[in-house]
Amino acid sequence: MNEQTLRSRIGVHGTLLILVVWSVVPFLWAFQTSIKFTRDVASKTPVLWGYETTASAYNSFWMKDDDIQMWNVAAYIAVIAAVAAFFGWSGRRLENGRAFFFAAAGVIALGLWQFPNIWRAEDEYDFLINSIIVTVLTMLISLSIGLLAGYGLARYTGISGAVILIIALGFRALPRSAFVLPYFFGATRIDQWLEDRGIAEWDFPLIDVPFIDEFGVLDSKIAIVMALVAVNQPFTIWMFRSFFMDVPKEIEEAAMMDGATRIQAFRKVIIPIMWPAIIATGLFTLLLAYNEYLFVRVLAPTEWTLPVAIVSLTGGESSRTITEGAAASVSITLPIVIVIILFQKHLVKGLGAGAVKG
Amino acid sequence: MTRRTFWGFTIPSVIIMLVLMVVPLVTTIWLSFNELFLRDINNPTWIGFDNYREVLGDEEFWAAVRFTLLFVAVTVPINMIFGLGVALLLDKVGRGRSIYLAALLLPFIVTPVVGTLIYKDLFDRGGLLAWLWEVATDEPFLITSGNVKWLIIVQAIWHVMPFAMITFFAGLQTLPEDRVEAASIDGAGYWRQLWHVTLPHLRVLILFVALISIMDAYRVYDSVFVFAGDRFTDAHTLQVYTVEVAVDPQIGRVGKGNAIGVLNVIGIFVVLIPFLVISYRDQIRERT
Repeated sequence: MNEQTLRSRIGVHGTLLILVVWSVVPFLWAFQTSIKFTRDVASKTPVLWGYETTASAYNSFWMKDDDIQMWNVAAYIAVIAAVAAFFGWSGRRLENGRAFFFAAAGVIALGLWQFPNIWRAEDEYDFLINSIIVTVLTMLISLSIGLLAGYGLARYTGISGAVILIIALGFRALPRSAFVLPYFFGATRIDQWLEDRGIAEWDFPLIDVPFIDEFGVLDSKIAIVMALVAVNQPFTIWMFRSFFMDVPKEIEEAAMMDGATRIQAFRKVIIPIMWPAIIATGLFTLLLAYNEYLFVRVLAPTEWTLPVAIVSLTGGESSRTITEGAAASVSITLPIVIVIILFQKHLVKGLGAGAVKG
Repeated sequence: MTRRTFWGFTIPSVIIMLVLMVVPLVTTIWLSFNELFLRDINNPTWIGFDNYREVLGDEEFWAAVRFTLLFVAVTVPINMIFGLGVALLLDKVGRGRSIYLAALLLPFIVTPVVGTLIYKDLFDRGGLLAWLWEVATDEPFLITSGNVKWLIIVQAIWHVMPFAMITFFAGLQTLPEDRVEAASIDGAGYWRQLWHVTLPHLRVLILFVALISIMDAYRVYDSVFVFAGDRFTDAHTLQVYTVEVAVDPQIGRVGKGNAIGVLNVIGIFVVLIPFLVISYRDQIRERT
């Protein structure tokens, strides 16, 4: 290696390292604030090292009881994560491993479900569960209808396809504030109607979820989910459409020659090769749903998700300490960081394939 | 594909967009001509253009317009140039690329309100940057109405730049090897190669990122809301202003909020219509 390439290499890595510092400093700062004692945080010159660490901020943010052995909680989470990771890893390695993915999801669900039976959790735990429910439902609905529409739009050559795509692109640009007020207005109107007719009091045995005591739209997760599905739809159909444009028509035509209907060809031949696209689009949907603030704030006065909870609980009026705010920030960030690190490659590929022609 | 199959595939998505985007949009326009309070949301009264007259005469509205335009004009170009630069650097790295990528993506994937909260902590009392400032200038650092706008802008660059970066980086991965080789055989240096080969390859992507960045910067809400809150009302962007007007439980004026919402929509469409026309022509050309 000659001197010039060595020098340019050092330059590249040096610049990138500076950029990494600029990116991660707020996170490191939040993390070390979250494990400090309040007295060290309050000191005028920051205590950068040699301070005593504590998990008490996490304890008081998530748990009703003080003085819980947080190592036990950490061990519980680690065991669940390890078992789920093992199932997920096996599912990827095996030929027909889909059942293993369900098993991994099941383990995580079981862990989340049992957690409040072991430790008494604060309300924030409910908000975490709300976040997960909203995110998963939004992904399921948004991706399934987006997948169908994207396929139709990629294969149909009529003008109406172009019109739908352009209108969707226009909707992509519209600010949330143009939607959130009519959603709120519509939701209160529907709830009023349900109440006037006594439907709000009905018991729906099949969908009688324990935490819905009155049947209505406002403050229900389904309102948030549908709002998110709607604002996400333009992006989803454009993304899927450009992925489907890359899939040669001949693939499904061959299947249809063999006597499959178009639906069968779509399910058996097209979907299996679309997984990278589904994962990439799914990641963006996950970010959108998990991070949403405004819709939840307006449409759900009490059934918050984590972003609203954290702003309300760490805002000016609240008595929460700065360490608790930091602990909350770290806790809400960690799951998403893990997901993104696991699927980072798909994110890059998705943007490369989807956006180049978008 | 026949027309019937096409509609079979697209109808769920189209219904969602009709019911949850077209209908709300029409409702917004209708409500904007009504006087309507949040605490009494079931009784709109028609008042014609009064809301619009009031909004256009409102100094806070124009302050929000000015800051929104400043925000878009500063953050979008910086994000794009900065993002392209980082993408080009990353492209030169062989080993350790995915570690850099993960670290640089962090600000983009973090929940925006949380990203803003932890960024703000650096500048608040006892924060790292506030302390460094005090060491350097011997004066305590305070978030004031004077500097909060710039803090919001810097935070936005920190938060959004990775989007441009990762998109351009993804585009660079599809750059055909032979064109790069041909250019270097012709003796083109790095910068000429960048100008004549790389940038033309990224042309569509640059347009795409510009479009998305303008849309997203125009409708920024979360970070401004957290940073400025009720304390620095002149650092409100249009979205924050709209929501503040409309959803205050006591004096929330949904009608006026909707009037601002309609103006927001008109504002973004003025910028957007050329893009939409170009894309529509592309679509039609593809089909014939």
